[in-house]
Amino acid sequence: MSRILEETDRLKALGWCGERVARDPVNQPMINNWVEAMGDTHPAYREGLAPPAMVQVWTMRGLHPAPQPDDPLHAMSAVLDEAGFTSVVATNCEQTYHRALKVGELLTVRSRLSDVVGPKKTSLGVGWFVTTESTWFSGEEPVATMLFRILKYQPRPQAAAASPITPVVSRDTAFFWEGTAAGQLRIQRCEACGRLRHPPGPMCPACGATSMGFVVSEGAGTVYSYVVHHHPPVPGKRLPFVVALVELPEGVRVLGEFLGESVEIGRPVRCTFVRVGGFHLPAWEAAA
Amino acid sequence: MSAAIVGIGATEFSKDSGRSELQLAAEAVRAALADAGLSPSDVDGLVTFAMDANAEIAVAREVGIPSLTFFSRIAYGGGAACATVQQAAMAVATGAAEVVVCYRALNERSGHRFGQVSVAAATAPTSSGVDNGWHYPMGLGTPAATVAMAARRYMHEFGATSADFGRVAVADRRHAATNPNAWFYGRPITLDDHQASRWIAEPLRLLDCCQESDGAVAIVVTSLERARDLAQRPAVVRAAAQGSGPDQYVMTSYYRDDLTGLPEMGVVGRQLWRQAGMGPSDVDVAVLYDHFTPYVLMQLEELGFCERGAAKDFIADGAIELGGRLPVNPHGGQLGEAYIHGMNGIAEAVRQVRGTAVNQVAGAAHVLVTAGTGVPTSGLILAPG
Amino acid sequence: MTTLPPLSIEVTPTLIVSTALATRDFQDVHHDRDAAVARGSKDIFLNILTTTGLVQRYVTDWAGPSAVVRSISLRLGVPCYAGETLTFTGRVVSESVIEVVGTNSLGAHVTAEVTLA
Ligand SMILES: [Zn+2]
Repeated sequence: MSRILEETDRLKALGWCGERVARDPVNQPMINNWVEAMGDTHPAYREGLAPPAMVQVWTMRGLHPAPQPDDPLHAMSAVLDEAGFTSVVATNCEQTYHRALKVGELLTVRSRLSDVVGPKKTSLGVGWFVTTESTWFSGEEPVATMLFRILKYQPRPQAAAASPITPVVSRDTAFFWEGTAAGQLRIQRCEACGRLRHPPGPMCPACGATSMGFVVSEGAGTVYSYVVHHHPPVPGKRLPFVVALVELPEGVRVLGEFLGESVEIGRPVRCTFVRVGGFHLPAWEAAA
Repeated sequence: MSAAIVGIGATEFSKDSGRSELQLAAEAVRAALADAGLSPSDVDGLVTFAMDANAEIAVAREVGIPSLTFFSRIAYGGGAACATVQQAAMAVATGAAEVVVCYRALNERSGHRFGQVSVAAATAPTSSGVDNGWHYPMGLGTPAATVAMAARRYMHEFGATSADFGRVAVADRRHAATNPNAWFYGRPITLDDHQASRWIAEPLRLLDCCQESDGAVAIVVTSLERARDLAQRPAVVRAAAQGSGPDQYVMTSYYRDDLTGLPEMGVVGRQLWRQAGMGPSDVDVAVLYDHFTPYVLMQLEELGFCERGAAKDFIADGAIELGGRLPVNPHGGQLGEAYIHGMNGIAEAVRQVRGTAVNQVAGAAHVLVTAGTGVPTSGLILAPG
Repeated sequence: MTTLPPLSIEVTPTLIVSTALATRDFQDVHHDRDAAVARGSKDIFLNILTTTGLVQRYVTDWAGPSAVVRSISLRLGVPCYAGETLTFTGRVVSESVIEVVGTNSLGAHVTAEVTLA
């Protein structure tokens, strides 16, 4: 820890350093590549004006970066690595653009270490927030600045989070998931005999018809049964969590995660939807 | 039925077999044939579970079975157990095969563990995959959790408690404690141990859940006529049945009127009683599928051993322990002996019929065996030949 | 309160790779899926320079070409992997400040404040 603080003081005292000159001046071909990839149709970018958010691109270190020992972020990271804070995640990036840049300007960037704060407990693990500042110059004129903050942390030993599971959708069930995406809890209804059914299927078990419609449920029901899941881990869920089987006044049951505090059989609940992997899954919250 | 079980074989039951599932299968099949006094060249049929990872032809190659005239697989997980014997008996009865071996081999602890969430099951492009889409994405994706949903409702309707479930575990572990082949040999538990065990999926505790095991079991079936000339006293298949119920799902039949029964087991039970010409009171020993304790209570009710909701009272005085009115799982069941998807229970029923079990129930004339619960399932009644 | 019309962007591998290269960011986690997985990620993911560029595009698409972007301040959240849909929503919080949130199935990928001159 004292080593971290010593290095922080040393690097802060150095002030602005790590000067780097852009490989190319601001130029139209690189702007064209950028706007094409971003899908940005701003007309001025086709006529010699550089997109402001592109400022950092001009001074990127490229495919074969040369070592830059006086780069303050690089030096600080090395010390934190040694201390066991080996993982990194960027947390903040604040760019300020003093003026628009035009084709032909050659940029230079300089950086300094502005702050190192820690050790802090975070959701990822214990770590240090490292903040650097960069300033871009066109000639001697400062044209943009950036504050960049990373968290260097000690990863907590835990199983890699698996992807959440999403439903398999068939022709028979697509209407249900289209409904949840639109904020509707759709219950399949036989067009011939009117029978309601969940989970849905292609043929009415009561009358044999294959013409299916749906009604939109009010989304209010009561807990018919529930499980408090403690073990093992479930992809995309934080343990423990509650899954409830809910009976609707429409006469069907629908299963979903219960998002409220206390659960019991008979408890009135309301349907809500949670987004998982591009799907909107039905879930339940306590009714007021 | 005119078929009998004439040989049983198994590997050791462990947490890490140290060999392939195919090797386990081949070892169990050879052991069962040796027990029957048959050789690989006598075998012309093989039956296994749809979930088994070892192809019939691979097992035949390893064991040296020259040709097969019958091979078949049964779906729905542990629900397949007794149905493999039913398939074999039907093959023998029709003449499709003469000697059929049923097998199940799994490294369920050291290899693929069923208790974890199966992403493959949840994403299969099949009707089952679509079914699972109503449950897995919402977080209901382990066998224990799916049983817990039914168990909670059962407790609510009938006033059963976690301790009532615990009595099943206590009985199984008591029996396993005196079975040297059981994983929990010499390690009985008390009801307090059960109540102190951690939650897995409330209301299920750790000790409500069967163990995870590596191992294999094989069962040899042939005609009763041929059985008379073989090494062992035949265990006659007096009844064999499969069953699926209304609005059936795999582990998640939550959309029926009632969540507190196992109607698919009722379908099995009614066939068994009719085929064998007997009723629950004629059963001397019951080997009831026990991957999770609540379903043992529901099976007792569904099969007619007691009224609906009364299983907690039926078992309260030790009725399902050795010496009780209905000894259940004298080998220790899957909670105590091993989890071989119910096949080790069939082997125990055969030993009870032969009179050679370590925890032998004297004069066991009718032994009931059931297969996986919460899924389409199956059952057997065996009797001495 | 004025809100911006939402914008959904399908984050294809092509988008991630083309934007990474257009921003001269050659770190393997932005173009090599095997390398990204080996480093503990689910897939390749958007780089920060692209997130900044997309936030800027979202605001200037709405504000029109005469708007001048003075600053972009990002708070970074969950990664944005290939296969995600990144949906931007925004609201005007003062005369010149627009708050933008970009979410995907894992949660908030970016929360930003964009200041116009
Ligand atoms: Zn109908």
